Amino acid sequence: MNGITASTAPWYASRATGIVSLLLFTAVMALGILVNRQGRLPGLPRFAVTNLHRNLSLLAVIFLAIHIVTAVMDSFVSIPLISAVVPFTSGYETFWLGIGAVSLDIMLALIITSLVRGRLNRKVWKAVHWLAYASWPIAFAHSIGSSTDLQHGLLLILALACAAVVAAALAWRIASVAREVPRAQRVSALLNRPAPRPRGSGRPAPPRDRITVP
Amino acid sequence: MPLRRGEATASRSRPDGLPRLLPAGPGEPDGLREHLARHGFIPYRNAPLQLAGDLQAAGLTGRGGAAFPVYRKLEAVAGAGGRAFVVANGAESEPAASKDASLLWLAPHLVLDGLQLAAEAVGAQEACLYVHNTRGEQFTAALRRALSDRWSARIDRVPVQLAEAPARFLAGQETAMVNLLNGGLALPTFTPPRVFERGVNGAPTLVQNVETLAHIALIARYGAGWFRQVGTHAEPGSMLSTIHHADGTVRIVEAAIGTPLRSLLGADLGTDGTDGPAQAVLAGGYHGTWLAASRAAGLTLDNAALTRAGASIGAGVLVALPASHCGLAETARVARYLALESAGQCGPCLNGLPRIADGLATLAGPRPSPQVRANIERWAGLVTGRGACSHPDGSMRFVRSALDVFAAELRQHERGVCSASARRPFLPLPAGAAVSEEDWS
Repeated sequence: MNGITASTAPWYASRATGIVSLLLFTAVMALGILVNRQGRLPGLPRFAVTNLHRNLSLLAVIFLAIHIVTAVMDSFVSIPLISAVVPFTSGYETFWLGIGAVSLDIMLALIITSLVRGRLNRKVWKAVHWLAYASWPIAFAHSIGSSTDLQHGLLLILALACAAVVAAALAWRIASVAREVPRAQRVSALLNRPAPRPRGSGRPAPPRDRITVP
Repeated sequence: MPLRRGEATASRSRPDGLPRLLPAGPGEPDGLREHLARHGFIPYRNAPLQLAGDLQAAGLTGRGGAAFPVYRKLEAVAGAGGRAFVVANGAESEPAASKDASLLWLAPHLVLDGLQLAAEAVGAQEACLYVHNTRGEQFTAALRRALSDRWSARIDRVPVQLAEAPARFLAGQETAMVNLLNGGLALPTFTPPRVFERGVNGAPTLVQNVETLAHIALIARYGAGWFRQVGTHAEPGSMLSTIHHADGTVRIVEAAIGTPLRSLLGADLGTDGTDGPAQAVLAGGYHGTWLAASRAAGLTLDNAALTRAGASIGAGVLVALPASHCGLAETARVARYLALESAGQCGPCLNGLPRIADGLATLAGPRPSPQVRANIERWAGLVTGRGACSHPDGSMRFVRSALDVFAAELRQHERGVCSASARRPFLPLPAGAAVSEEDWS
């Protein structure tokens, strides 16, 4: 492998930050599914799961921005900056970079609607946020197709692991919905259950029997 | 033969004293003719918001439980812009209350006059009368007849739909009502936006209790000064209240605000130093407050006095619990009902109310452990102020006041003794909890 020189540094930076973006967005996707079903992470309160999802998504966007800018900066291939948001306008790898742009467009919609969420109709925000289920697979396809990095060796295993994480999260979500107690029966399901012991009583707490509220 | 506008039939004088709303007769409903004979034609102002000034001078507050100044609601809805919608809230989901049902049965035209006047005041073009679907065929048929009589006599300017709500405790809550009218389930939602900004079909919606509308109909005819002839200065006028006596009889009474509870409950609270059959009084309804009978005997029916005792008028319910019944057992039954009536949407209410209901059931039984009461206090603090509506808050007020007033009874239970002798429950509760989504539509 050639050494990283000043002229090739942007190219390596773009590939590296691309991989980091994939990892981060995979985490964001899994956390988003967790937030939607009011799931927990060990040791974290539920509001922390929501905050983690939000904060990681902003961190991921920063890495994504570096990924795009360094790709544009690189003198070896010609990628106009506009092709980051306008799909299929790049000379290099038109298709694969194009779908990367599609995914970025969706992500921008997600982030902007979330930042102005207070002013938006709830249904509108929700409808746009559902596009996340389209954005991630498209980004994943871009990762695999636009460079050979992820097509071999350890990085291929990493990519497959990311896909497995999202698939598992999806499967968990579907199962969680199937297990859900119908709203009208939630209270009757809870009446006559033994109360959990108060914390700090010194004895191990019984398994939580809270019914979550989707 | 259709009645014409100028046809003021018999001479009508201002009703002096009480009752004002309910016909003073043996309880026959007022048909349209009787209503016009008694009160005359509806006094339209022909200008929006003229009525609000009179209502402000009269000091009329809502009779649905929140006692919010009526003129401010009118101004808020009129000022929200766009075509308004008016709902007459006759749901009366409070099981212990029947004053709205009685008013709608005996004097529907007063309510409907008030509805038309309120619609005119906010510039609404559509209105709705909202009642539970459990009142019986005769009841809803009578309301439909009243509406069609008014329409063919060209009294109503705004068409009024009759909407039937499911028999749920929360169905009368204003956001739940709006959701049902918009085609969904009768479940409360978070605010903002408040219904006076965006409600039925997205329009600014005025929601008023039916008794409030009846008062509006009278104030529009006889003026603010007349309205203030009874009641207190801070809380003028009269109100309907549902009184449950210790012997089980139920009366609907129209009383001036500020009437001593002693004169409303009569012999229940005892006479001249001797105790009556009542051990405690529930004021306001199942989101209200228990009061010891001796305390209640010194109070009057107005919020100024009641709030000093930690209570409020609420839905205008007064229940005198006889000493032969166990206050804790009654409270536990009602708490279970309130838990089952939770919308099941907000975690604290959904999880907390059943736990508290079970805890109270334990307290109502023999030898409860002291930990149970401490648990209930702790959970009560965790569920208040954390939901889309005030169902948990009101329920906790009821529960906490019970633990306070029936503390002596609780000490008896801890020793394994109950002072009650009655076997049947006292507080009225409807049968049937919700089991599926359809029960909310």
